Order: sequence, then C-alpha cells, then structure tokens
Amino acid sequence: MKRRSFMTTLVAAPAAAPALFAQQAAPASPPAPPQQPLGAPGRGPGSAAQDIKLDVVSPDNVAEPEARFFTAAQFAALRKLSDLLMPPMRGNPGALDAAAPEFLDFLVGVSPADRQTLYRNGLDGLNTRARKQFAKNFADLDAAQCDAIIRPLLVPVPWTHEPPKDPLQHFMTAAHDDIRTATRNSREWNTSGGRRGGGQLFWNPVDPIYKG
Amino acid sequence: MTKKEYDVLIVGSGHSGGMAAKILTSHGISCIMLNAGPEADMQRDRTQKPVYDLPYRGFGKPGRLTHVFQANEFNANQWVDETEVPYTYDPQGPYNWVRVRLLGGRSLFWSRQSFRLSDFEFNAAEIDGSGTSWPIRLADLAPFYSRVEEIFRVSGRKEGWPQFPDGNFIEPRYPADSQTLKKVTELCNARGFGVSKMRTSQGVGGLASSINLLLPDALATGKLEIVQNAIVREVSVDKSTGLVNGAHFVDRHSKRAMHVKAKVVVLAAGSLESTRLLLNSGLANSSGVMGHYLHDQIYGVNVTASVSEARDGKAAATPGLMGGQAFLPRFRNLNKSDKRNFIKGYCMMISSGGGASANMFAEYGEELQKKLDYYAGSCVSATIYGERVPRFENHVRINKSVTDAWGIPALHVEAHDSDNEHNQAKDAADTAEELFHAAGWDLISKTDKFYPPGYSIHEVGTCRMGDNPKTSVLNKFNQSHDIKNLFVVDGAAFVTCGWQNPTMTISALSMRASEYLAEQMKKGEV
Repeated sequence: MKRRSFMTTLVAAPAAAPALFAQQAAPASPPAPPQQPLGAPGRGPGSAAQDIKLDVVSPDNVAEPEARFFTAAQFAALRKLSDLLMPPMRGNPGALDAAAPEFLDFLVGVSPADRQTLYRNGLDGLNTRARKQFAKNFADLDAAQCDAIIRPLLVPVPWTHEPPKDPLQHFMTAAHDDIRTATRNSREWNTSGGRRGGGQLFWNPVDPIYKG
Repeated sequence: MTKKEYDVLIVGSGHSGGMAAKILTSHGISCIMLNAGPEADMQRDRTQKPVYDLPYRGFGKPGRLTHVFQANEFNANQWVDETEVPYTYDPQGPYNWVRVRLLGGRSLFWSRQSFRLSDFEFNAAEIDGSGTSWPIRLADLAPFYSRVEEIFRVSGRKEGWPQFPDGNFIEPRYPADSQTLKKVTELCNARGFGVSKMRTSQGVGGLASSINLLLPDALATGKLEIVQNAIVREVSVDKSTGLVNGAHFVDRHSKRAMHVKAKVVVLAAGSLESTRLLLNSGLANSSGVMGHYLHDQIYGVNVTASVSEARDGKAAATPGLMGGQAFLPRFRNLNKSDKRNFIKGYCMMISSGGGASANMFAEYGEELQKKLDYYAGSCVSATIYGERVPRFENHVRINKSVTDAWGIPALHVEAHDSDNEHNQAKDAADTAEELFHAAGWDLISKTDKFYPPGYSIHEVGTCRMGDNPKTSVLNKFNQSHDIKNLFVVDGAAFVTCGWQNPTMTISALSMRASEYLAEQMKKGEV
C-alpha cells in the first residue's frame, strides 16, 4: 500500500515526490528534480514510471556458480564425467565450458530425494570402482582408465521412461542425458559458433493466486 | 438483491463447453459459463526467452508437474498446478492427469489431429465380441461431424475406408511423397494396410480453440456471460423437484462463496472434472457406474530404422529421398478372419528424415557425436496411438481425505493396463520392424513400451451414455437418466475411445446434445 502510494505520487505529482529524496532543508527551498534513471541515457527528467526500463545483467555474466550439494569427491567425479561425456566438439563448448557440473550440483540439490540418491550413489560408485581397479579416485584417472569404468555402464535405452534396473547404469543414463542437456541449454552453447541465442515463448504465471 | 436465473449454466469453457454455448445461444437461450481459471492474455502472459535465461536452464523446477510429461520449463505455467488441485492414485498404477484451467481449457494447446470415430468404435460389442456398444452409430453423428469440421476447417484426404470415415474437408496441401514414403506405402498396401495422411484442424490464425472458433459467436449473440476464476464446488438441487437449479462456486482468489441459478446445468469441465463434480454433489448415479469405465489411448512404441543411402550426410545431397509422414489408420481386427491376441486396434504414424537420438546408443563423447552425425537425416520411425479397453474396474472415486486449495475433495484414480494393451503394442512394434526390414532398412532402436494411462490427455468415460439407465449415466443425448435438466457434454460420455483424437467427437456430441436441449426447452420438456 505504501509503495503504491509512492508510485502514484511519482507519476501524478512529481513536484511532491522529492520530499522523499530532498535533504532536510528549509521548507521554502525548491524541490530537487527527480534523479535520472541509471542505464537509461537520454531519458529526461520526469519519465513516467511505465516508461522506465533499466538495463540489468544475468548473474551468470558476473559471478561464478557455487557448488554446495555434492561432497568434494563427488563433485570432482561429476566434473570428470562431464568432461568425458560432453567434451568440446565441432567448435562447440563442452560441459566444463558451460559450467554444466556446477549447474547440475544446483539442480540435483533441489530435486526430490530419489534423484539426489541416484546421483550421490552413482558418483560414489564411480569413485569406488576407480579405487578398486586403479587405486585412485575417478577424477584422477586418465581417459583410458575412465573408459574402462564407464563403458560397461553405458547401455542403449530405447524407452527413456524405463531406465535400466542396474543402479549404476540408471545413474549413467540419467547423468549422460542431464550433462548433454545442461551443456546444450547453456548460454555458452547458444551464443557460440554464430548462434544468436534464440528463444521460445515462455508462459508467465497467469493471474497467479492473490496472496495479498 | 436476487440475481437473475439463467436458462443454462455451462461449467467449463473448452471445446465441449464452447460448443454448447455457441449452439444454445444461437437459439436465444441465455447462458452463464463458469470457468475455473483465468483468461490468458497471449501478449502479456507470454515472453520470448532463451533457454539459458530460465532459472532451471530448461529442465523445469524439479518435482513440479511430475505427471505432465508434456510439460517443460517454457510451458509449465499453462498446466494446472498439482499442489493446488491434487489427485491420488495407487502407486502401483500411476495415472497422468493432464489439465488446463485457463479459459478455453485444453483447446488452447491440443494437437489438432481431427478424426471421426467409425462404427468399429460405435458398434464395439459386435466388432470385439465383448464390451458395450454406444447407443448411437456413425450415421447419427455424421451430420454434426460435418458441421464441426466446417467450423474447425479440417483438412484431409478422402479414402472411402469404413474404419477411417471421411469428413467435410477443406482441400489438403500435402507435399509429394519422398521415395522412402513411397516404399512404405507400397509395402503396406501389399499387406492390406491403408496408408493415408494426417487430418488436421486448420482453425483460424493457427488456433483451433474454443476461444477463437466457438465462444466469440456465442458472445456476439448477447446471450452468454462468462465468469472466470469460478471454481464450482457442487451442483445444487431443488429438493422439492429433484431437478438441478444451479451451482455453488467459490472465487479462485478470495474463496468467496457464491451461487448461480439456472434452469438447466450442462457440465463440460473435462471428463474427470465433470465426474468429480457430480460425485461430490452426490447426483445422477442410480446406475452405480458413474466414475467407472475410465479409459484413454496407449501412446508409445517406437521403432527406428536407418536408410543406408541417406547416411553420412547423403540425405541432404539426395533431394526427394527422405522426408514426410505417412498415416496408417487402424488395420487390425477389421474383419473376423483377423485372429489376434488382442481386440481393438491402433493407428501408426511413420516419419521419414529424422535422426537418431543419443539414448539409442552406448557410446559417449566424440564417438557418440560421430554416430549421431552419421545417422542424421537418414531415419524412418514409427509410433502408435492404440485403443485401451474400457473396464469397469478402471475408475475414479472421491478421496475425502485429500482436498484441493479450495477445500473441495479430490479425485482418486484407479487405472491399470491389461494384456490387451501390451499385446497390441507388441504387435505394433513387430509390424513396424517387419515393414522396415522388408524395405531393406537397418533397425537402430525398437521398443514396445508405452506411457501410463492418462498420458494421451484423451481420458474419456466415467459418465458413459447408453440406452439402459441401469448400466449408463447418460442417454444418447448426453442427458442424465436420473435428472432431466442435467447434461454432461464432454468426453465423460464416451463408451469407447477408439484410437482417434476425441476432439471432433466431443464437439459433435456437444453440438448434438445442445441442439436436442434447445428443442426440448422450446417444447417445455426440460
């Protein structure tokens, strides 16, 4: 309510609004003009609220994503797996360039428990097999060693709604698909190699239930 | 202040409700339409966005809309929120109930495939040797199909086949068949399978919805008023007459309770919502079959083969080799000499010119990409829609322990497939494989799996029509056997679903029922 009154005041009576901006000066002082909106050069004083459109940037342009869900060993295995399954190819960025592991750390972290368990057990399973076969964590293996671990886990899945019954094969199927999707849907992928970023029609919430 | 009593209350605004409004108002009948959700503004409510700007990078919020396989992060807000309108089911028998409550309902988003049911569906009991037939035949509905097809501007190629009735089509525009499609056609014809083309509602401006084809005409008469965000809780009854006299509803935002009065109530909320409303109202179920015979179609099966002449980049360099689609209407169990381990049938869609998908292979990285590049553009694939058998035990009932966000008891759904569905799918997958093998193409992937019940978004039954009030809820004009001023004009009335998209049949039945109702009201019979 207070905000709406403020906005209405700004639009209808600019002379009165500066009471919120002006210094505490003698009441007779003329009011200061409304400030220029940032990032909108050329918009003169008194722009109506509905005409103001400020430039903002995506957090992915300015910040590093933080991995917080997986343990250090699990996340290292996920990074290694991502680079194996979706390396840079054909001039396209790979999973690491697209920060796919970091994104999946976030996505799995907010997923239902069964998905979280699938991933945790899957990544632990890779590390367990790596230590058993090569006395190293999965992230520390070379390409041939990694291939020996993951090749038996990759199977064709003709009906994706019925994943393999073996838990590690199930994990590998899910992770392979997720890593490919997270990479191909990234900003890096969609703005590289002459691509223009594209877009589709996104449905905003329609008349969401009033919570006032 | 007493508000007026309308002639007809229509609950729901999709194709069936929209058609009822259009027909009834054309007869000068005053209608009030209640729709559970809001009207969407296509300009305001949709924004062009790149996938990487979505919060979940296109994956969608995890755990949201788990039963709507058609949902993605771009369209997530068009579907009913399952936390607001929950339903329950046996964990061993998952059900995908896919709903849209925006004004226009699912008519805003349907695939526009447009077919008539045939007498193989209407007269199912005689054809299958079991089950129940409709109380009507194709001849009863044909005049209404023709009028509906004119409104929807259906394009199609006439074939003259009894299992694939021709319609009132606008001239189709199909490209010439590619060599692979000609090969498919040749092989199918040799096996007695008819090969045709998709039949599609062109609509107007790319939209074939209630909101552009039906409701504007009704509103233009001045006889229709529409209330959005009106969630109907219960149909009300005049206790002295036993006739319905309106409905209690609540406002979607404030939950303010209101009542609207009408001389006739027409339910068009979608099969399961109409049935849910009647069950919650405790009405019109002297037969005991309300809620039962829930069924829809099996969607699934996928057989993909590769054409060697088109591999390794040759597809693009060989114009006319690949591309296009063939449509095979039902070709099984069309005559008694066709002995199968399943009844009913399926249609098959064969597409040429696509590629393989990553899940079909066990490779990864550069090796996988090489395979995908190798097969790109060289694939022919087949998938089906098949008819599920309506069974009494597949049903919905009220779950009083679960309510929606407005306190209305939720629906519990019990639906399980039987051997008939699995045998049908296996037959389809084997048939497609045999066809592709006969064509000399190399099989890449094959599955006879299909999606859970409900996935097709063609759920029908639960208030089936029939001549016998002991075994049906509605008569052949969608009128309740028990309450003469109560009609159900959506897919709940179906007796069998066929393999066909039900929209043309739903619209034709609603038109026919509304014409009948208008006539009955003029005579003072209702």
